[in-house]
Amino acid sequence: MKSIYKRTILSAACAAALGGITPSVHAANWLMLQGTEPAGAAARAKVWGFIQPEFQRTDDTKLEAGPWSGQSAIFNQMRPDLKSSEGFNVLRARLGVRGEGMPLDPKVNYFLLAEFGNNGITRQGGGSVKLTDASVTFNHIPGARVRVGVFKTPGSEEGLQAIHVFDYINFTNVTNGLLLERFFDTDGSDTYVTPAGNSGAGGSANRPNGPVSAFRDQGIQVFDTFKKGDWEHSYALMVGNGNGITRGDNDNNYETYLYWSSEKVFGGKGPRRDGWKLFAWYQDGKRTLDAYWDAAAGEFSVQDGEFDRTRYGIGTTFRKDKWRAAAEYIVADGVIFNGTDGGAVPGAAANGPGTTASFNVEPEGEADGWYVHGGYAVTNALELDVRYDVYNRMTDVANKERKFDTLTLGAQYFFNKKSRLILNYEIRNAEAPNLADDHNANKILSGMDNRIAAQVLVIF
Amino acid sequence: MRITRRNTLSMLFCLLAGVLVLANPARAENPFAEVKVVLQISDPNPFKQTLVLNVANNLLKAYGPDKVDVEIVAFGPGLRLMFADNVNKGRIASLASNGVSFSACSNTMRNMGKKLGHPPELTENAKVVPAGVVRIIDLVKQGYVLVKP
Repeated sequence: MKSIYKRTILSAACAAALGGITPSVHAANWLMLQGTEPAGAAARAKVWGFIQPEFQRTDDTKLEAGPWSGQSAIFNQMRPDLKSSEGFNVLRARLGVRGEGMPLDPKVNYFLLAEFGNNGITRQGGGSVKLTDASVTFNHIPGARVRVGVFKTPGSEEGLQAIHVFDYINFTNVTNGLLLERFFDTDGSDTYVTPAGNSGAGGSANRPNGPVSAFRDQGIQVFDTFKKGDWEHSYALMVGNGNGITRGDNDNNYETYLYWSSEKVFGGKGPRRDGWKLFAWYQDGKRTLDAYWDAAAGEFSVQDGEFDRTRYGIGTTFRKDKWRAAAEYIVADGVIFNGTDGGAVPGAAANGPGTTASFNVEPEGEADGWYVHGGYAVTNALELDVRYDVYNRMTDVANKERKFDTLTLGAQYFFNKKSRLILNYEIRNAEAPNLADDHNANKILSGMDNRIAAQVLVIF
Repeated sequence: MRITRRNTLSMLFCLLAGVLVLANPARAENPFAEVKVVLQISDPNPFKQTLVLNVANNLLKAYGPDKVDVEIVAFGPGLRLMFADNVNKGRIASLASNGVSFSACSNTMRNMGKKLGHPPELTENAKVVPAGVVRIIDLVKQGYVLVKP
């Protein structure tokens, strides 16, 4: 009896001890997941990637008013081509390699990723394949890992998170407008002052001078994560060119990025672990335009102009068992991407003579926006999501202010952990809140269609 | 101390146990194990690290730490598992606290040291043996079952 008792106690102790054997958690936040490898347990070269074929559709409602009345509205066309309101597209197809170049030395790791899909990265700037990430991380200094190269900047959750675990197909309006940066040489105002004879369809449209930023920059980052009980506290400081990917610096100005997050980890590991995270970020720099409308002088300037560009935000994410939630508030000051003239497709000739639709930038504008997201895993295979986002563009100029809001209803069906189908229905609205309902701006914006989208995502 | 028949038997029992332990110097931790397993890791594939630790954990769960003797022997590229800063060091410590032994090949350490410029730093739970493969052969001779996950 005594022996049985002792064995029971021993077994219970062993069970308790074994229960304490927790799986090793690879640092599960975006800074660590993207910037480091599991020390001593990484491959020399792990090949990976993902493919995102998709279908999108709107009703292709035409512009109701303005110089391009009756023509296609940019907001009802499929990106990035802007030539059709519906169709198939391989949005992303990325192939990468990552690991520890010398497996005996886990203190140095690398990350390489290239984009083969059809999107704002590959569509602009020539070439059909673009390098999006190429970085090396040095893990020699405790508390201060150093990452150099081109990589995702520490910032908004929607931009920083791995795109292959994004719960939706399209970005929120605020992220798309303020953080997925387009780089221009001019502010787009020159099409209005160019003599009519020099401006034809596509002739002088202001377009991006290369790929979108893809939430990335070239530079150097110091970062690390500190664990205290169930909490993980992370920081990142980065200095970059402020000029996106595939190009060097253009103005001798540097971008500064600051990031902090604290997360209570509930369990799991990797990009889909359970936890509650609070985060805040800030970035500041300058952008140089070769030509712009000088409001103070009342003329179009062809001298280089430097403009401050600041973005900051605060947010939270939550994931536990079947529930997911997120919210973020973003503020912007300077260099606001301001859509196109009359809502037309860039390069489209106006119905009257002399004007070609261009992309526009407001060098000294202000904007803000926010989003909330909730999700529920009905089964292991089916997850339902809903997101509401608001973007207030050009809040500092009443007649230029535009408000965009979108309610997105989503469903994700997981064929397995690495393959899923995403379905989205976006109920989209836009208005010029300080202008009359029958103003051309509001007539144009009232033509913004709802959008349906379906996407297959396979990670390998 | 008063010498009684009971005390005498206890001392004899302890002496016998001590002799048994000395007769098997390689495995002193658990001389009464009913199952003895040596796990080999010599593969560069990082997934094998997780696998070998999982197997050790499963053996402990299946037989109970008091009934199974598990030793993990690492040599060649598999020695990375026992590096001091290996991401699995927490699991290694937990398994070691439950009686799992970790043996690191000295030959491999010497060769790695030539490439690194210094010997690799190992987890405190690892003990260095002259040669990993010889260690495995010795354990097999002692009745251990060799498993290479």
